[in-house]
Amino acid sequence: MPNIETLALLSIGLPWAGALLVWLVQDRKPPLQHALAVIFALAGAAAAIAMIPLKTDVNVLHFPLGSAFGLVTFLPDGLAVFLAVVATTIGSLAVIFSVDYMRGERQLGRYYAYVLFFIGSMVGLVLSSNLLLIFVFWEITALCSYALISFYNDDPKAVSAGIKALIITQVGGIGLLAGALFLYAYQGNYDVPTFLAGAARLPPNVLALMAFGFLIAAAAKSAQFPFQTWLPDAMEAPTPVSALIHAATMVNAGVYLLARFYPAFEAVPNWKLAVVAVGAITALMAAVMAIVSNDLKRVLAYSTVSQLGYMVYAIGTGGIFASQFHLLSHAVFKALLFLSAGAVIHAVHTRDMREMGGLGKQMPLVKVVMIIGGLALAGIPVLNGFWSKELVLEAGHEGGPLWAWLFMLVGAGLTALYTLRFLSMVFYGEPRGGPHVHDAGPAMKIALVPLALGTLTTWLLAGSFGHFLGSALPEGHEVLGTAALLTRIATAPATFVALAVVALGLAAWWQRSKLAGVAHALRGVGKMASQSFGFEALNRGVVRLTVASAESLRTTHNGVLNWNVMAILVGLVVVLAILALGGA
Amino acid sequence: MSLPLPLVAAVAVLGLLGVGLLGLLVTRNLIKAVVAMQVLVKGALLALVLAGRLSGQVQTGQTMALTVIVADTIVSVVALALAVQVRRQFGTLDLQALSTLRR
Repeated sequence: MPNIETLALLSIGLPWAGALLVWLVQDRKPPLQHALAVIFALAGAAAAIAMIPLKTDVNVLHFPLGSAFGLVTFLPDGLAVFLAVVATTIGSLAVIFSVDYMRGERQLGRYYAYVLFFIGSMVGLVLSSNLLLIFVFWEITALCSYALISFYNDDPKAVSAGIKALIITQVGGIGLLAGALFLYAYQGNYDVPTFLAGAARLPPNVLALMAFGFLIAAAAKSAQFPFQTWLPDAMEAPTPVSALIHAATMVNAGVYLLARFYPAFEAVPNWKLAVVAVGAITALMAAVMAIVSNDLKRVLAYSTVSQLGYMVYAIGTGGIFASQFHLLSHAVFKALLFLSAGAVIHAVHTRDMREMGGLGKQMPLVKVVMIIGGLALAGIPVLNGFWSKELVLEAGHEGGPLWAWLFMLVGAGLTALYTLRFLSMVFYGEPRGGPHVHDAGPAMKIALVPLALGTLTTWLLAGSFGHFLGSALPEGHEVLGTAALLTRIATAPATFVALAVVALGLAAWWQRSKLAGVAHALRGVGKMASQSFGFEALNRGVVRLTVASAESLRTTHNGVLNWNVMAILVGLVVVLAILALGGA
Repeated sequence: MSLPLPLVAAVAVLGLLGVGLLGLLVTRNLIKAVVAMQVLVKGALLALVLAGRLSGQVQTGQTMALTVIVADTIVSVVALALAVQVRRQFGTLDLQALSTLRR
């Protein structure tokens, strides 16, 4: 039996090695590329799963990188191993799905190399316990997401979506880097467990800077308010990549960061409130946007943003367990939804739901699994989404302000509404697409079935999941068995309120023709929502400002050597002057 | 009266750096720019040796100076080779005429 250090290295290294091999094979032998990608993704998943019984609460693998960078250390505790398993297993299913979805595409080497590199880096991100290393992996995942979103690099929309994702996540990365440097300045190393154990040693203002820097980093990565705009645009990527970004890797990183550092920042004034506000605003706003979108993948993207809002909200109210449990449920059912949406899009060659409809007959399996996933998203008992969402709402009811809790309740109702809307637009009604619909291929079905089974069953793991996370949860968290936990959720008054709101959402879709007057009255809100509440205009403004200032500074970049030397000399004089004045 | 050696060296460093920078500042000829850069680097070399002597780490200073000599030689060889190619391709060595940046 290999030890945990080897397994940790393997679960990062195997996907990376696979990435290198697939790339080296070149694009002459697509079957070999498919096979290699699937084998290495599955091997990485096996290594991650093998870490489960060996989890530990102390740093392993002390590999020195020199005094400035500290030790390469991994902390494979419950939280880290859980996220590593999610990244590798859901990632492998996305890779298996790609075998059918990407068949016949050009440049498979580039595709699989980045997908595998992405999976390995995400594992590295969650396992590392050196903050600088976390930052490095954080940026690698940003780079991979950029490359994959822009995979169809002859499509200007895909390219601009990739650049947008890269820029926005870089803004967040600055927050993380600043946090890492502050930690080094005040602690002398980048060790995360040391920091978590004694965060109070840092001056309060520095700790607050770090806390809000990390919140910005997490919001940018997890597409939270006000950085949510990159995720819907990221839908230009091939659909398995969307599943990967939304369920397995990228967006979980922000939630992980907040959950990991919650013990250190808990006491920072207003930090928890800010986290709650970010989560609640995002959850509600994204749910409204999901109702008015007609692009199947964008609806799912907004639903991801909204569900991530639930997780962030749960962290802000102290419900780390609730947030991670919802992350588990969401990873499973959102991967299921995206992959089945991919099967639908692959079949009808459009993402516009107005051109779908009546697809249930041609693709029965996809219909069944997508409805399972949709109902889990809507929070219908007894699917996994129901239990975890109720847990989040319960945590919020106990630990958060009332207005935020009401936001989340309304969000839950809207979730049910838009879920029914997209399910019925895709699978029911008259067929509106052409006759050339073909059913999903075998590899797609192999990837979909385990996810559907997972959606039906992962809630049964509630108790053991709590034990597994164990020491990663804040002190005083009461670890309950599955039965006790489920009983508590099922008997909590909050659950019934939430269920009533969800039922109201379902009823609203059922009776939508009678509610036409209400819809008419709210069309202004809908119009604003379809323009993403002005955030796109804000982005465009920032871009215009940047371009304009670059244009106006053009004269300083004239490429004349003498000017450049002059600038260097002036810079030298300024630095010397600052040193002389500072030293005095 | 004899001047102390470090003082002489320091003056020489400043002189070489000044001449090199001045050359880069005023010349428009690519070859002259390479020559000016050589003078500048020689100043830096002397500064390294001097710093080694003043800090008592003579070996470190001289080792770094040797490294710089090697790197600097390669740089100037490549730069001059490029200058020859530039002259053949564009027919001029005027740096301002060679710049293709929009102004």
